[in-house]
Amino acid sequence: MTDLILARRRMVVFLALCVLLLGLLTTQARSPDRRLAGPLGTAILAVLAPVQTGMAVAAQSAADAWSRYLAIGRLRVENVRLRAEVEELSRQVGSLREEALATRRLERLLAVRRSLPGRTLAARVVARDSARWFSTILIDRGTRDGVRRNDPVVSADGVVGRVIEATATSARVLLISDSRSAVGVLIQRSRYAGVIEGKGGGTVQLNYLSRAADVQDGDVLVTSGLGGVFPKGLVVGTVMHIVREEGALVQTAVVQPAAPLDRLEEVLVIVGPR
Amino acid sequence: MLRGSVGRGLAYGGIFIAAALVQSAWLVRLEIWGAVLDPLLPLVVAIGIFRGSEAGAVSGIAAGLLQDLLGGTTLGLYGLSKMVIGFAAGLFERSIYLEDPLLPAVAVFAATVAAETIVRLVVVIARLGPVPWPAVVPEILVQGALNGAVAPLAFRLVRTIEQRFQRR
Repeated sequence: MTDLILARRRMVVFLALCVLLLGLLTTQARSPDRRLAGPLGTAILAVLAPVQTGMAVAAQSAADAWSRYLAIGRLRVENVRLRAEVEELSRQVGSLREEALATRRLERLLAVRRSLPGRTLAARVVARDSARWFSTILIDRGTRDGVRRNDPVVSADGVVGRVIEATATSARVLLISDSRSAVGVLIQRSRYAGVIEGKGGGTVQLNYLSRAADVQDGDVLVTSGLGGVFPKGLVVGTVMHIVREEGALVQTAVVQPAAPLDRLEEVLVIVGPR
Repeated sequence: MLRGSVGRGLAYGGIFIAAALVQSAWLVRLEIWGAVLDPLLPLVVAIGIFRGSEAGAVSGIAAGLLQDLLGGTTLGLYGLSKMVIGFAAGLFERSIYLEDPLLPAVAVFAATVAAETIVRLVVVIARLGPVPWPAVVPEILVQGALNGAVAPLAFRLVRTIEQRFQRR
């Protein structure tokens, strides 16, 4: 009996609360904004809203801090990726620049090749003789390509030297700056003859020039073609300084080689009949 | 006895206010597939189971109206759904084995599904807004799982309060 009364009371309370809430909901649904807090609601909100705002601001700050932390991580990863990209691009730029310079050098070499007598072979400098500083070089062409001893070697700027030994795939070139080298030359302007001899250390000297010969600083020297090795008319160098010793029968001059003997990378070998 | 009731009421009031504030200020930012943890619902279910239908219904109204007030929803929407859930939970008064954390979790999962369905139905009936049912169903299920996950904590809290005020 008591249980029945309790159950009925329970249902009455439930239904009363339902009616109360449905009434509240109906009032709310009919209001313009579908929400009407009323004086009690407003009073509660007046107390709780500042707390709620403070908590929301704190949450927003935490969210912002977290976003910044994540952004820093992302930026770090991106930075590493961009650095790698910059390094790769720098390497590519260096490689392309190198290729462009090589192309320019080869173009100049090709232009010189057209003006040379006989058959020419382009060769790459693969080694230098470290024992005789800048005096011989090794090129990647040999007897298999038709290279023989005493073949003249030139660059786009002028005479380099001559082949002193050749294997099947390579050849050693004696530079005009080597002390063992001697090349017959003419002063291009006055046509006086002399001999260019190496002095070592990248310099050459014009010897056996008669005291009466007309020579000036800046005169260009070309091969005379008399030695039987170099064809006539190849540029050898420029007179830098004339030395006239008192009482001597000949005069000498310091000559700047036309070819950059210490920076050679590609050369031409004149092979066959000249 | 009166002091015990007042103390209990104040304790539950404080917990409801704290939970409603935490939910409206913090938990709404932590959406999981559109679902937000509702810490008030496990508390209402726990009160209903510990103290019966009337207490469950009253605590449901209080928690729901507070949620409506702080959440910006139409007043009475969550009040009604939580009142019904609190009342229904009271029908199972002391019939759930509370030492097993799984049973409160399952009960709260079912209560969440029912409560959220009531909310959507009221929204449709009162024409408060559209309800995209296909999207709502997984959202309700996820919310049920979230609420179920915190149910053991809510039950433990309610039991602690009940034990404390029972002694006095």
